[in-house]
Amino acid sequence: MTWLSDWLREIILVVLLAAFVELLLPSKSMERYARLVLSLLILLTLLNPVVSLLKGDAAKELSLAMSQQEKTGGMFTSTGKGTDSLEKILADGQKLAQGRQEQSLKLAAEEVAGQMRDQIASEMGVRGVRVTVSLAMGKPPGGNGGDVPVISGVTVALPAAHSPSGGKGGASGAAVSQPIVIAPVEAVEVSIGGTPSAAPAQTGHTGVKGSAGESGESKEEAKLITQLLKQRWDLDPEVIHIQDQSAGDTKL
Amino acid sequence: MEIIQVVGIGLMSTILILVLKEQKPMFAFLLTAATGVLIFLLLIGKIGMVLSTLERIAESSGMEMIYLKTIFKIIGISYIAEFGAQVVRDAGQESIASKIELAGKILIMVLAVPIISIIIETVMKLLPA
Repeated sequence: MTWLSDWLREIILVVLLAAFVELLLPSKSMERYARLVLSLLILLTLLNPVVSLLKGDAAKELSLAMSQQEKTGGMFTSTGKGTDSLEKILADGQKLAQGRQEQSLKLAAEEVAGQMRDQIASEMGVRGVRVTVSLAMGKPPGGNGGDVPVISGVTVALPAAHSPSGGKGGASGAAVSQPIVIAPVEAVEVSIGGTPSAAPAQTGHTGVKGSAGESGESKEEAKLITQLLKQRWDLDPEVIHIQDQSAGDTKL
Repeated sequence: MEIIQVVGIGLMSTILILVLKEQKPMFAFLLTAATGVLIFLLLIGKIGMVLSTLERIAESSGMEMIYLKTIFKIIGISYIAEFGAQVVRDAGQESIASKIELAGKILIMVLAVPIISIIIETVMKLLPA
């Protein structure tokens, strides 16, 4: 039923536009001719379902015919365009092919990134990792044959509150709550309130321990992720970049 | 209040032209053409605004752009032809002005050719052979 509403909407819009354009026309002498073209357009819109049944999409047919007319018609345009038409067509084709290749590379990169993310999640138990893969056309590692898509860069962004131990399953739940305990807000509260010394000492202790241990563990984790990606995807370690968001937060 | 500006420019140039016509008819014509171009340039922004609004509405409602393009072409051809014809008519060349108008009419008719051909082909396919 959507086609019916689309069709009706198109008819209404074309009729409204035609009425408006008739008002915009500068002189009466052109009005008859403009009215003819506008009424033909309305007729074509009305016949749209029949045309699409018999000939294909009416609008596409019309745009094709218009562009053909623009190319061939006119005494000033036809001579110039005839000579370089083949080159232009070839250039257009190349441009189209390039656009399609870029699109497919982008899709493939997204797919590869998704697989890498799943692998990291399943093998190391790290969830919420953002993987960005950039693909480029290049020679295969063997060195023979034409250009093939090659992974030119992998960026793994570790989540801000991931499990630092890298343990699997149950350990991660307890580990996730740890950064909440050492949140900087608590430390500020303690200093203002002037509570007994046990509490700040405790929080300070855990804070230091947490940050020192976390940085070491995240480095180790980054190494493990690099190792995993290198093994699974046969990648050069130089193309893998690991970004730790929790480290970035502490810098700020 | 652009209308006051337009009318002001028109009145001023009319007085100037009437004065100049006695002394130098050639410069009077140049002033006429320049005034016409000036008024046209003042209005072209407004026409552009209307057209861009129409385009936005058509885009948001999912209308086929080729229809809109055809309608815009009609407006463009008729405005340019009319403007050129009037400038030439002001110079006293009525015959050339009518030729320009003829060209405008024919170019508008040419826009109808692909539409007519699609409609006629469809109708021919509907009819039994």
